[in-house]
Amino acid sequence: MKRKIAVAAALAATMLAAACGSSDDGGTTPNADASVDGAGKTLKVWLMVDAQSGRKNVVDEANARFTQATGAQVQVEYQQWGDHLAKKDATLAGNDVPDVMELGNTEMPKYVFNGAFAELDKNQFENSANWLTGLSAPCEYEGKTYCVPYYAGARVLIYNTDLFKKSGLEAPKTYADVLAAADKLKADNSSSKFNAYYMPGRYQYAGLAWVHGSGGEIAKQEGEKWVAKLSEPGAQEGLTKWKDLVDKYSVGDKTKNEVDQAQIFAQGQTGMMYGASWEVGSVQEQPKDPNDPDSPKVKTKVHGKVAAVAMPEIPSFLGGSNLAVVGKSQNQDLAAQWIKVFTDTKSQELLIANKVLPNATNLLDKAAQVEGNEASAEAAKSSWFVPMAPKWADVESALVIQEMLGSIASGQASPAEAAKKADDQINTILNS
Amino acid sequence: MATIAPTSGRPRRRPARESDTVTVGRSQLATVLANVVGIGFVILMAFPVYWVLNTAFKPSNEILQFDPTLFPHNPTFDNFVSAFNAPYFQESLINGVLITLGAVFGAIVVGFLGALAIARFRFYGRKGIILVVLGVQMVPLVAVLIPLFLMMQGFGLTKNLLGVAIVYIVLILPYTIWTLRGFIYGIPRELDEAALIDGCTQRQVFWRIILPLTGPGLVATSVYGFIQAWNEFIIINTFNDQSQQNLMAWLLQNQTQRGTYWGPMMAGSIMTAIPVVIFFLIIQRHIATGLTAGAVKG
Amino acid sequence: MSAVDTPSAPARPTRPGGPPQSHARRRRRRSASSGGATPYWLAVPSLILIIGLLGWPMLRMIILSFQNMRLRELFQGIAPPWVGLDNYTRVLTDSVFWTVTARTVVFTIVSVSLTVVLGLAIALLMRRVAPSVRIAMIVAMMFVWAIPQLVAAQIFRWLVDSDFGVINYLLTQLGLDYVNHSWFAKPLEGWAVITALVVWAGIPFIAITLNAGLTQVPKELVEAATVDGATPWQILRNITLPILRQLIIIVTTLSVIWNFGVFTQPWVIRSGQPEPGYQTLATYAYTVAFKNNNYSLGSAISVITVVLLFGVMAYYIRQMFKIGDVD
Repeated sequence: MKRKIAVAAALAATMLAAACGSSDDGGTTPNADASVDGAGKTLKVWLMVDAQSGRKNVVDEANARFTQATGAQVQVEYQQWGDHLAKKDATLAGNDVPDVMELGNTEMPKYVFNGAFAELDKNQFENSANWLTGLSAPCEYEGKTYCVPYYAGARVLIYNTDLFKKSGLEAPKTYADVLAAADKLKADNSSSKFNAYYMPGRYQYAGLAWVHGSGGEIAKQEGEKWVAKLSEPGAQEGLTKWKDLVDKYSVGDKTKNEVDQAQIFAQGQTGMMYGASWEVGSVQEQPKDPNDPDSPKVKTKVHGKVAAVAMPEIPSFLGGSNLAVVGKSQNQDLAAQWIKVFTDTKSQELLIANKVLPNATNLLDKAAQVEGNEASAEAAKSSWFVPMAPKWADVESALVIQEMLGSIASGQASPAEAAKKADDQINTILNS
Repeated sequence: MATIAPTSGRPRRRPARESDTVTVGRSQLATVLANVVGIGFVILMAFPVYWVLNTAFKPSNEILQFDPTLFPHNPTFDNFVSAFNAPYFQESLINGVLITLGAVFGAIVVGFLGALAIARFRFYGRKGIILVVLGVQMVPLVAVLIPLFLMMQGFGLTKNLLGVAIVYIVLILPYTIWTLRGFIYGIPRELDEAALIDGCTQRQVFWRIILPLTGPGLVATSVYGFIQAWNEFIIINTFNDQSQQNLMAWLLQNQTQRGTYWGPMMAGSIMTAIPVVIFFLIIQRHIATGLTAGAVKG
Repeated sequence: MSAVDTPSAPARPTRPGGPPQSHARRRRRRSASSGGATPYWLAVPSLILIIGLLGWPMLRMIILSFQNMRLRELFQGIAPPWVGLDNYTRVLTDSVFWTVTARTVVFTIVSVSLTVVLGLAIALLMRRVAPSVRIAMIVAMMFVWAIPQLVAAQIFRWLVDSDFGVINYLLTQLGLDYVNHSWFAKPLEGWAVITALVVWAGIPFIAITLNAGLTQVPKELVEAATVDGATPWQILRNITLPILRQLIIIVTTLSVIWNFGVFTQPWVIRSGQPEPGYQTLATYAYTVAFKNNNYSLGSAISVITVVLLFGVMAYYIRQMFKIGDVD
């Protein structure tokens, strides 16, 4: 803003300055336990659209409790994934900001590093001692906490029990079992659209999971510098293993990412896939009206024929979202209190019922007891996370990993060539 | 040589001179061929439109199947209901109509004055104004997005319809000025002069002569502004909250991380295009008038 | 903003005037009044809006391109450091930028040629077909014209979807192996789809405009030429095209400006994440600025884009001055 003031002043456009003076003075930490009279105030919360389409009851319930406790109203805005970062950047640069913002855990470090959010007192939030590290690590910067884990998701092996039964197969327990099952399924099904193991080419959290499964890594901090490690033997082994799987068992589009995989699996022509935990449900039934999560469910062709296990020998990426108090917010105490309510055990239990993983390890066991959550809760116990570099989000938005995997899957480049190129790009971006 | 001639112009009115049978025969063949190509063109142009309709009337399990059906086997209005009742669809529809009409009206009023200045007066700085008007069409809008956003926010013009409408006016203004200038130019200067001699004031000349005669031009010009304002989504999505979006920004919402809702999206697309089609149908006659206006008056 | 399918046809066709018109104009021009302060008052609202709303942001864009503005500066209001020509050096020495530029230029040339040639062909065809076919053609084009760009791009994405798309299905029915065929694995094929989309959406504007222009071709002239034994090709080249010439120049330059700035189509068809092979100058500038948060580098790319367009712009403005008889 100062820059803007400088230019504006230079042009004698002082009227703009008034709009620019309200940035956070960075004094005190918002207090989630303070008793604030919120009557007449409205808290503005930005959540991602999934909260609206997938678990609106969690939001409604938390809002009701929050309003009862503080008297403040809550206005929730649901953001689209498509271009949400441009909109968030523009908004955070201005003075009319939301009080609470949700960001994906891989995007968080960039914002924390660039000072967009207010520091929080970790101890004021329930279960904070047991937060999943994959979620809470991006919130930490120089020993301080800037956001609160909201929910997590793990990836699991989803398989078609009907096809498994026909081929006389059991749930795989080792990676070798997976390959053997895929071979058998491939031999028993001849359709040109049949995927023994559906694996889209640009699925970065699959490809990288195979990298971690073979002991590889994406990048490591060495001294001051970040060094990409995708060309190292472990990572190469993982990528080769992944490529073999794609080549042999997946007939799908190599240029797609994973967004369509549930719909493809639902056609009943796919034996196995590597999916997010909630996809176990969405491949079996879809709301009749996709814009209304409460509308009656329509069963797909594979209804009742789907099961999931943790993907053997492949540790899962722990995805998820975090919530932060915007540094320029005028209602920081209220914002912290809303986050506190929205992430407390009660809200988390509602989340679990919606087949989403909770934010803390002590709640994982509870999650494992909910039908359909067992596999993902299990998978979350052996998980990995992207490098904690402030610029990691730039690697993601530059599609470096997706490009690498896409070119490997489509045969345009060998794992070694593709990894070399990706390593160069990652080194440039992370150290720029 | 002459035998090939009929393929241009209008063969039937052509003065028939030599070897009539041959030329007529060829001409008929050429006409048939032209009609066949024309029908082929219609099919090619219409196919995507047909597929949108086909998709919009299918239930979701029929949309998502490996072998698509060429017509809905279980036609349903569910997708339309879904889109129409989806969060913020109706608000977005109303917002889009208000913003578009406001922007088109504003651009026509302001642009008409500007066009009048350029077309009817010679003054110092006129060329500069023309350069500005023509030049700003080249500026990539996304490049000025953040500065524009910050500036409009400083004026309190984000998170409401007015700010977006003003930006849209500026977007469509250059084209509007330039096109209207052409129409005003088409009105013979002598008409004004005669009216002035007959005792009309400058103002009366404007209201009684220039404005009515530019009428078709105003309508024709508004087509461009209408489409431009109706189609924009980057600015409005950045400037405004969910309740102040237009239909384009709303359509983006159907693309979630959980896949695309093709049915409601196609149904929404149809409902999005309908206001434009209606607008076109209403003014269709005037577009034609506008197109030939200059020729008649020239 | 660019919009291949947006602009309206009007007015332009009114000006491909023959000699008599321009005589009349010249006479009129001579009698144009100076009007004292009136023209300034009339022009002021337009100028305030254009300069006020675009001038300042454009100035900021240029200033930004000489600084290094990142997220930290944006969020915290720290003055970004001046870096002189660094951003420009970086852009101009980056092979990625030149690849993107070359791709944008090639796309522009191919798509504009196709749109204009097909548009002209359709306009000529419209004068040859039965009235009922002509009406069908106009209705089909009106519908295509009315479909918003964003929607059109979504439609094409759906048509060529590798798993559920109708195009792969139909090609497979014809006996070709297009099962699960990915139209975007090879950028050349992907660009064929994007070009088809842009041409499809762009034809109505050009065909309808040129068709209106064709009404200006004097029938007597064509008939006389026919009688004199001119071939259709000769008539096209020596009568029709010269009359349409200025109109064609205008629609071509407009198409160049729009297609050079193509953004929505590749952006939407690649689901908001265009791969390096699908970047154009506009999407590239956007990606650098907003996805990589390098606002200064993005601004530099935009400034260079405008400079590149300047050649086209100068030509366009000159034509406008000439055709519009404005000076």
